[in-house]
Amino acid sequence: MPRLPWRRDPTPPPGPLAELADVPPPSRSTLLSEVEILALDVETTGLRPRRDELLSFGLVPVLAGEVLLGGTRHLAVRPRGDVGGSAVVHGLTDDVLTDAPPLAQVLPEVLRAFVGPGYRRVLLAHFAQVETSFLASSCLEVYGASVPFQVVDTLELERRLMRAQHHELPQGTLRLDACRRRHGLPRYAAHRATTDAVACAELFLAQCAELESRRGRPLVLDDVAERGLA
Amino acid sequence: MDVELAEVRDFLAGHAPFDVLPDAVLEDLPRRCTLRYARRGTEILRAGERNDRLLVVRSGAVDITDEGQVVDRVGAGGSFGMSAVVEHVPTRYAVTAREDTLLITLPQEAFDELSAAHPEVTLHFAATHHERIKAAIARLHEGRRGSAVLRTSVRDLVRRAPVTVGPDVSIGSAAKVMTDAGVSSLLVMEEGRLTGIMTDRDLRRRVLAAGTDPSRPVRDVMTSAPVTVGADALALEVMLEMTGRNLHHLPVLEVDGSVLGLVTTTDLIRLERSNPVYLVADLARQPDAAGVVGHAREVPALISQLVAEDATAGDIGRVTTALLDAVGTRLLELAQAEVEQDLGPAPGGFAWVVLGSAAREELGLGGDQDHALVLADGADPAHPWWARLADRVTEGLEAAGLPRCEGEVMATNPRWRMTVGRWRATFARWSHEPEPDAVLRAAIFYDMRALYGDASLVEDLRADVVPLAARSDLLLSYLAAQAARMRPPLGFFRGFVLEDSGAHRDTLDVKRGITAVVQVARVHALRAGSPALGTTARLAAARAAGVVPAETARDLSDALELMSYLRLHHQAEQLRRGERPDNHLAPERLGGLERRHLRDAFAIVRAAQQGLLLRGPRVG
Repeated sequence: MPRLPWRRDPTPPPGPLAELADVPPPSRSTLLSEVEILALDVETTGLRPRRDELLSFGLVPVLAGEVLLGGTRHLAVRPRGDVGGSAVVHGLTDDVLTDAPPLAQVLPEVLRAFVGPGYRRVLLAHFAQVETSFLASSCLEVYGASVPFQVVDTLELERRLMRAQHHELPQGTLRLDACRRRHGLPRYAAHRATTDAVACAELFLAQCAELESRRGRPLVLDDVAERGLA
Repeated sequence: MDVELAEVRDFLAGHAPFDVLPDAVLEDLPRRCTLRYARRGTEILRAGERNDRLLVVRSGAVDITDEGQVVDRVGAGGSFGMSAVVEHVPTRYAVTAREDTLLITLPQEAFDELSAAHPEVTLHFAATHHERIKAAIARLHEGRRGSAVLRTSVRDLVRRAPVTVGPDVSIGSAAKVMTDAGVSSLLVMEEGRLTGIMTDRDLRRRVLAAGTDPSRPVRDVMTSAPVTVGADALALEVMLEMTGRNLHHLPVLEVDGSVLGLVTTTDLIRLERSNPVYLVADLARQPDAAGVVGHAREVPALISQLVAEDATAGDIGRVTTALLDAVGTRLLELAQAEVEQDLGPAPGGFAWVVLGSAAREELGLGGDQDHALVLADGADPAHPWWARLADRVTEGLEAAGLPRCEGEVMATNPRWRMTVGRWRATFARWSHEPEPDAVLRAAIFYDMRALYGDASLVEDLRADVVPLAARSDLLLSYLAAQAARMRPPLGFFRGFVLEDSGAHRDTLDVKRGITAVVQVARVHALRAGSPALGTTARLAAARAAGVVPAETARDLSDALELMSYLRLHHQAEQLRRGERPDNHLAPERLGGLERRHLRDAFAIVRAAQQGLLLRGPRVG
């Protein structure tokens, strides 16, 4: 994995980012049932972190094999530009977003959500690169620094689960709804940050159940986490 | 709140009982929930486990099982976990994911709040829960019910190892093998496999009639590749196979193809003979007491058969009573003939009456004798004719496996040989001048049924006795107190009453529960002035007379059936092990469902006893 520029800046200014930096990522040998995980889904105006804008964060905690709906958060962000064509996808209109606080006010809430009991909560997402890159570029923008996360990526997990059975994966097999179908999960009307976060969290439970039955033992974080931090 | 959990909210809104909730409640509900996932085949709840959630199937399906039997199958929108949230007890059933299943879980506190504010929610879950319990009870019976032909597998019909020869044996030698073994058919085996069958009919048609040389090999005249049947086929299937193909012999094969034996039409006929009707007819034909006693010994096996066929305890009680009535009646006929030879005709009209469970037609395995003589007014109770008759019949019954009554409530006891007038006076004394102890011992006489002789004597007597009792507050109050004293165990989880010493240590006397229901029903029936004898009939009469609420009557009948059913199964098992049947259930031998129902039955009995005392002595 290429080293990314923000990793070179180790000293975030005092504030939420520093609080997050103070807690280490959890040990990879921790039992998965004991790790606090936060499913994150971001809605954006596009896929390029430097150019496109964050519109909302959807967050839902996962602990000990359960999606804790009570902890669901939806945080909308007021964009600098207009929402443009992406509104069709998200159902987030300019009107909703103009009432929302700017990124600099929302980001601390998101970062604090990841400050766990003595460790940095694990970030769970489907195709997590979008979430991690937007988070990182937002942090750089707001704080001039960034903190990496321990990531669990349900897309990568699915790829690993499928690779055991298939040599080549046809296009589209790893999309969130395709993965969910494979695990017998219901269809959701997608593309709302919280719905996608919940959908991803449910998929994660299903994947863990499959992986655990394959391994025949309780899972540890190392069984599902991506290598390195992002 | 915003629309962030719209998926969960919309789903709940689409399923009962959440569909009746106001929007504001539905909006808030998802936040109280968590989501779980169960892969196909995984156990979600284990029976007996503590659970603190209501679980709603979001997608997929689960099987709800009781001791391996499916009680219910729940798909999307259905719920489970009611034992916990409705009853606040450990889960009754095991729940297993039948498909990959996503679950919405609602914690107890949230459920409680919801039920408090919306009673229809509680009602829905209580009703679902009740349906499941009913289904579970139905499964207890299901699968064991049916006639012997439906129940018996061929394996149980095969009575001996097959008689076999090789295919190259001569027809003559094969015929000799058949004659020596006394069989009408022969299996032809080659290298351990069945290749053919030769029957008497083949010998007639293909050898004698066709003029075949008996020195030729069996292979030439046998039926090759005969029709066979698997060892686990039901007798019914075999019967259909045989009649359909006009076969009289059918080889029985194990799954691996080896030969278990042969089943014949005779075996099937014998199976059908194990019917109580045949035994009653056989008993009536016996020329002497020894013959009656011999056949009476078949009664327990027959009852065990009925138990295995899963007849209800009520039905078994009536069948057992009919069989023992037949034993008693034939013994009485024979005894009367014998006494008449020595002492001449009976010195007056008489009726032989049975008492207690025999009168109520509620006999089970392991009962004893309770009977008396009711003589026509004018007959001399001291005449030796009565004693001779009573002695002969009692001896016969004892030989037939019915022990003498420990309390000497038998016609051999001169006290219980009285004229109708004396009986009437005795009942009157019990009704008007009750001494508690005497009354309590007398309770059994309120269950009286004519078995033999002049039944009208007993009818007249009962027509006087029942209203007499109904008018006696004192008698009723003594009987009520007696019924309330017979304490059934409290339950299995807390403070349960077990015999604490002797051979029955750590067991549970189910008879106490049964007796309590019998006594409660007797008091109620007398209050209602009903001459009914059977406990269920008495409860129905009391209900009809308004003495007992319909629900109590039904609950008590159900409780009696359950306790009697479990007792019968226990006793049949004891007989199978060669032990003497008793009333002491070993709790650890009961299944979880049986225990729970038994506990419920005891609770019903206790409630009814309480009700009896609260009512006080009042003429109904």
